[in-house]
Amino acid sequence: MTDSPDGGWRRAVGRAVARGVARVGPWPLAVALVGTASAHSGSLGGAAASATVPTWLTVLTGGVVVGATFLFTTLLTDHDAMRSVNWSRVALPAPALARRALVRGCQLVSVALLGLVFVTGLSGTTTPTRNFALLFVWTGWWAGFTMTTYLVGNTWPAFDPFRAIAGVVRRVLDALLDGSAGTVAPDRTDGGTATVPASPAPRLPEEWGVWPAVAGLLALVYVEVVSPIGSNPRSLALVVAAYGLVTVAGAVVYGRTWFDRVDPVSRVFLTYGRVAPVQRDGDGLSLRIPGTAATEEVLPDRPGETAFVVALLWVTTYDGLVATPLWARLVEPVVGAGVPAVLVHVVVLLAGFALFLGGYRLSSRAVRERAETYVAVDEIERWFAPSLVPIAAGYHVAHFMGYFLTLAPALAAVAASPFAPPATVALVLPGWFGSVKLACVLLGHVLAVWVAHSLAFELFPGVLAAIRSQVPTVVVMVFYTMVSLWVITQPYVPPPFV
Amino acid sequence: MTRNLPDPATDVPPDEEPTAVCAHCERPFRSVHARDLHVGEVHEAEATETERERYERVIETERDDLWLFHARTVVALGVVYSTTVILYMVVLGQFG
Repeated sequence: MTDSPDGGWRRAVGRAVARGVARVGPWPLAVALVGTASAHSGSLGGAAASATVPTWLTVLTGGVVVGATFLFTTLLTDHDAMRSVNWSRVALPAPALARRALVRGCQLVSVALLGLVFVTGLSGTTTPTRNFALLFVWTGWWAGFTMTTYLVGNTWPAFDPFRAIAGVVRRVLDALLDGSAGTVAPDRTDGGTATVPASPAPRLPEEWGVWPAVAGLLALVYVEVVSPIGSNPRSLALVVAAYGLVTVAGAVVYGRTWFDRVDPVSRVFLTYGRVAPVQRDGDGLSLRIPGTAATEEVLPDRPGETAFVVALLWVTTYDGLVATPLWARLVEPVVGAGVPAVLVHVVVLLAGFALFLGGYRLSSRAVRERAETYVAVDEIERWFAPSLVPIAAGYHVAHFMGYFLTLAPALAAVAASPFAPPATVALVLPGWFGSVKLACVLLGHVLAVWVAHSLAFELFPGVLAAIRSQVPTVVVMVFYTMVSLWVITQPYVPPPFV
Repeated sequence: MTRNLPDPATDVPPDEEPTAVCAHCERPFRSVHARDLHVGEVHEAEATETERERYERVIETERDDLWLFHARTVVALGVVYSTTVILYMVVLGQFG
């Protein structure tokens, strides 16, 4: 922020809503609204530093906590006791009729909200803190709803407006083409009664696996970082419309496969849902200890399954990384030398993903060596990948909890009157909230160590091989904790050139 | 307690002959020790008398090795804990 404080803050507000990064968003916004433009210390970096513990020690402590957690879990070697913790559950009453009615209700609400996003996005005010589309998409959905998918359960299949629209479109198309040519096929995406054309539906090549979703996730985050869709409601509405068209068309053509293997949004929520306390259990629902569902599930044997989990982890880091002072310092000379900024962003996005995936591959290979086993490397990768999900969730909640709480009053006020939005106020969070965020990152890692420990006992016979096998994974996790804590404690700098 | 997870896919290098193979599910192992443990854990119901005896023996070995491992773990935890506390004392004393 080298220009006037006012201009700098205004840009920060735009970026804040645009990028939805917790430590970024709320503070400049809160400050802008109360009109004290000098309160730099409001960021999480400031909160952590004000405890007089230097950043390097905060980061190192995070690594120590994860390492020590691993040492503690090695003391727990009673496999039956571990299973009784991991497998404990309480069945939740979920009568099929009520569930179907609820899903219909959710679909109606979400399609109505989607319509409201389009209307307010295309014709509403362009003030970010008063625009319903911006507040709803970034605060309500991208921050708030995503948090519910790992803190409560994955309800996206019921809420997804595009899935609902695709179901209707398919039925209408079927009726238009020829009612008798259609066959009623069971399709979970539509409550079980969608019709599909009798002609063989086109199929995605099996060897692609879920790689289309990996590419989609990277593309989505790239667009989110480099485009103005966070501060400009018009471009946001256009991007949502483009995404919606592609999704509905894809779902009409490929059916359920689309949401399973291509749609990055559905896959993100599905992945986060693996660590949630409310889980689908056969025909009903059950309540479980958070994270334990991930100890009972290996990823399906399809190309790209591991890559998607690693990509989810990487994009949350990338999102924070591009707003650090180090990034600004490194990128400025490169762009100054004539390299387009959008190219720099895409290269770093792909290179970082390759680095994360390569690191995970290497650690899986090391697991195979240390456990002295013949279990295939890609099997080890898939086996332990669910243990990365709590890390991504912990990092996500650290990023977005503060952002959500800060802007929630604004969202509520604007939602009450989307067409004539009042001036909004932002909640100012207390200073200790910074420590809560650090605790969330650590909690995610501690849970990840437990999940990896449980999965190792399921994969390798005996106790010592299972314990020894975890060392490479823990080294990677310690490294990752330290990187993500470092990113989180950095002061916010608006990413240059975007 | 029954196991919910599938049997893992294995991959034996072409120039290697597995040291041991499970008689019940044909999973290859790099050591007889691991195979004997596997039979006792996964095929408890179908295991023969000899296999049960072998399992008892390897469990005993595991128990001894685990004791040593845990002793080291406790020492490591102590070292990590005290180093961290001392580090904080030094840093906060210096910066405070």
